[in-house]
Amino acid sequence: MALLTPEIQNDIKKIFEELTSDVRLLFFTQHVSPLVIPGREQDCPTCEDTRTLLEEVAALSDKLHLEIHEVSAGSEIAREYGIDRVPALIMIADGVKGKVRYFGLPAGYEFSVLLGSLVDVSRAEPDLSEDTMKVLDALDKDLHFQVFVTPT
Amino acid sequence: MAIANPRIVADVVEVSEFPDLAQRYMVRGVPKTVINDGVEFLGNVPEETFVAHIQQA
Repeated sequence: MALLTPEIQNDIKKIFEELTSDVRLLFFTQHVSPLVIPGREQDCPTCEDTRTLLEEVAALSDKLHLEIHEVSAGSEIAREYGIDRVPALIMIADGVKGKVRYFGLPAGYEFSVLLGSLVDVSRAEPDLSEDTMKVLDALDKDLHFQVFVTPT
Repeated sequence: MAIANPRIVADVVEVSEFPDLAQRYMVRGVPKTVINDGVEFLGNVPEETFVAHIQQA
């Protein structure tokens, strides 16, 4: 069953008119084993819904390119991108210098945050003051921001 | 900011799905921002305040 109603899909398509460059959505999800291991089914209870949601979102614009990676502990591609938990999404576009990532299922209000991030990454034009840019240009170390949210 | 600078990794984390992180960073309210495991603050803050936090990190 589709997660996004036709009405919501139309709203999202309007938002996606602002997309300029192509965006790669690297999605990392649990490797689905053909074996059912008792007690292990719920390793990643939100992985499947997140995957379905991203598939439906990516289908709404030809500028969005979803790449699905089923990973297990120690996967090379997960290590390459520094992914240590799933579900995880990395948004990549030309002109984006750092990394923009999302961990978990973007539900409720966070869904609009995700859509906004996709537009920002696609446009790759940071809306920051001159003072902020000066501070960033003078950075002498790496910065890791983690913003913790809950679905509301 | 992560769009503008190669030294920045910006993560949004649905904390209800990752209780180990909630515990590790003592997340009792959201949005909570942690910079480099050291500086932390609660709520949405103006850009200048965020930058001030960066300078403490």
